[in-house]
Amino acid sequence: MGSFMSIVYKEIKELVRDPKILFGVVLLPLILYPLMGQGIQISQQALETSIKGAKFSIYSDDAGMIANVLMQYIKTNNTVTTIEASGLQDALVKYKDSDSVALVYIPNGYSQNITEGLKGNVKIYGNLKNLNMAEASSTEVAGSLVKVYNYYYSLSLIKNLLTDAEQKGSPVAIHDPIRLSFASIIKGNVIEVSPSQIASLIVSQSIMLPIMVMMMIIFAIQMAATSIALEKEQKTLETLMTLPVGRLTILAGKLTGSVVIAIAGSISYMIGFSYYTSSAFSFAPQVTSVDMSGVGIGIQPMGYVLLGLVMFVTLVSALALAISLAVFTDSVRSAQSLTGVLIVPLIIPAIILMFSDIEMLPQTIQWVLLVIPYTHTMLATKAAFLGNYWIIVRSIGYISVFTVAVLWAAAKIFSTERIITSRFTKLSFGKRKKPSI
Amino acid sequence: MGLAVKIIDLWKSFGYFDALKGVNFEIEENEIFGLIGPNGAGKTTTLRILGTLISPSSGQVEVFGHDVVKDAGVVREILSYLPEDAGAYQYLSGEEYLMFMAGFYARDKTALEEMVQAGREISGLGDRLKDRVNDYSRGMKRRLLIARALMIKPKLTILDEPTSGLDVIQAYHVRGMIKDYAKRMGVTILVSSHNMLEVEYLCDRVALINEGVIIAEGTPTELKTRYNAVNLEQAFMEATHLG
Repeated sequence: MGSFMSIVYKEIKELVRDPKILFGVVLLPLILYPLMGQGIQISQQALETSIKGAKFSIYSDDAGMIANVLMQYIKTNNTVTTIEASGLQDALVKYKDSDSVALVYIPNGYSQNITEGLKGNVKIYGNLKNLNMAEASSTEVAGSLVKVYNYYYSLSLIKNLLTDAEQKGSPVAIHDPIRLSFASIIKGNVIEVSPSQIASLIVSQSIMLPIMVMMMIIFAIQMAATSIALEKEQKTLETLMTLPVGRLTILAGKLTGSVVIAIAGSISYMIGFSYYTSSAFSFAPQVTSVDMSGVGIGIQPMGYVLLGLVMFVTLVSALALAISLAVFTDSVRSAQSLTGVLIVPLIIPAIILMFSDIEMLPQTIQWVLLVIPYTHTMLATKAAFLGNYWIIVRSIGYISVFTVAVLWAAAKIFSTERIITSRFTKLSFGKRKKPSI
Repeated sequence: MGLAVKIIDLWKSFGYFDALKGVNFEIEENEIFGLIGPNGAGKTTTLRILGTLISPSSGQVEVFGHDVVKDAGVVREILSYLPEDAGAYQYLSGEEYLMFMAGFYARDKTALEEMVQAGREISGLGDRLKDRVNDYSRGMKRRLLIARALMIKPKLTILDEPTSGLDVIQAYHVRGMIKDYAKRMGVTILVSSHNMLEVEYLCDRVALINEGVIIAEGTPTELKTRYNAVNLEQAFMEATHLG
C-alpha cells in the first residue's frame, strides 16, 4: 500500500472507530430523524383523535323552529350536550365547568331574522383550558359545522325562492356564480396545479435543503478539525512529519479520509431525513401528493450529477479550511471553539435563504452573501430543483476557486514549520505563544 | 567510524526570541549521545531541526553528511524521531500502529513483516499489542512508541525526553529497552533529557545546553572530573555557575 493510501486507510479506521464520530455522524441521523418524524406523527395523530372525539355544547335562547333545525343538525354530527340554563351567563358558567371544548350559542331572534330574510347570528365560544392546539382546532371544527349547515341552508332557501318565482337555475350556481381555478406555467409548460401549491412545495424544499447542506458541512468541519487537533495534541502529526512521506501526501490523505466519512455521514443524514419527511408529513397528504418531477421542478439526472459535484467541492473546501485553521490550535477543545467561528458564515446564508430568495434581498446583502462560498452551495441545491444548471455550474466554479485557494493555503501551512510552531488558544487570538524549546 | 551528526554555529530565532545561539556539537556513529539541560534550554528546538521539522535560522546541520534542509527527504529516510510526550493513534491497536508506521519505510511485504516483528520484540508488549492504544497505560504507550522508533533500524534515532512523565518502574524499563537495543544493534542514538542521572546511565557522551548555548561537552566521567562533581547534576550546576 502506498503512503497516501496508508494514511487514508488509517484516517478512516480512526474516524470510524471513534464512538463520537460513528454515533454523531453516521448513526445519529439514522436514529434521530426517523424518531423525530415519528414524534411529530404521533402528536399529529393525537391532535386528530382529540379533534374527532371533541365534545361540543349547545345553548339556544331561541325557541323557534329554524333554530331547532340547526340544533338537530349539529347534534347528529358530534357528541353534543344541550345546556339548560336561565340565560347566556348561566350557560357560560355551566359550559366552563364541562368537558366540552366549544359552545355553539344561538341567540334569541335567530329564527325571526332568517324568516325575514336577514342574517341569523350564531356565536361559538372556545373553552381554552390548557391553551393547546387541539382545543383551538376543535373550536374551528364547530365553526366548520355551522358553515356547512349555512351553505346547504342557503341552497335550500335559493331553491325555494326559485320555485316561488317560477325561475330556472341551479341553486349552487346562483350561490357561487364564478368557478375559479388556477394553473401554473413553468419553463413554458402549462401545468394544472395552482401556484400556491407549487410555492408550498418549493418552500418545503428550500427549508429542508439548506438545513441538510448546513448540517453536512458542520459535521465535516468538526470532524476534520477534531482529527487534526487530536494529531497535534498527541504529537502524532509531529511524528508523521519526520517520516519519509511528503507533507502534501499527509494533507491529501487526511482530507480524503475525512471526505469519505463526511460522504457516509451525508448519506445517512439523507436517509434519516427522508424517513423524517415521509413520516412527519404523512398526516398531510396534500404536501406530498403533488409529484415534483410531474410539475417540472424535480431533480433530473443531470441535476443530480451537478449537485454531487457541488457537494464534493463544498466538502473539500470546508475540510481544507477546517484543517488549515485547526493546525494552529494545540488542543481538541480550542479546535472545536475555532470551528464554532467557522460555522457562523455557514448558518447566516442558510437561515436567510430558508426564508427568502437571494434576488429579494437588498443589493449590498446580496453581495455579502455571494462572497460566502457556502451561499453558492445552497443556491445550487435550489437551482437543481428548477433545472437552472447554469447557476449550479457558476456555483461549482466559485466554490472550486475558493477551494483551490484554501488548499493552496493549507499546502503552504503544511510545508512550512508553522504547522509545528504556530498555535493560538481560545483566549489569545493573534498572540504568538513561545514554542517549546 | 564516521560522523552521524555535525552541527556548526546553529542559530534559531522565533520572532525576536533566540532559542539557539550558535550551537556546536558532533555525534560519532554508534554513539549514544545525551543533550541535557533544564526546560527551555533549547533541547527540543535542536532535535526538531535535526528531525527536519523546523529549519535553522543560520548554521550548518548534517545527518550522516546530508544537510537537513537541502536533503530533508534523504534525512527522513535514515532517522527516527520520537517527540516528547508523543502519543499513538488511540483507535488503532498496537500492532496496527506498528504496521502503519513500518509501511512508510518497508519496500516490500517481507521487509514490513520483519520491521513489525522487531517492533513486537522491542516493545515486549506481547498479546497486549492486539489491544487498542487507548487501553494502554502511559508506560505501555511509551514502550510502543520507542519500539516504533527503533524497529526500522534507523541510522540515527532521536528520543526527546524518552522517560518524561513515567514512574520509576516504567522509566527503568524504558531505559533498559534503549540501552539493550543500542548494545545489540550498534546504532546511533541522540537522547535529550532534563534528568541528568538518566543521561549519565545511558549515554557515552553528553553536551550540556543552557539558554541556547552548549556550555560543556564530554563523557560523563570527563565532565564530572572537570567540574569536580559527584554526578552530572552537580557538574551542570558548576558549569552554569549556579552551584
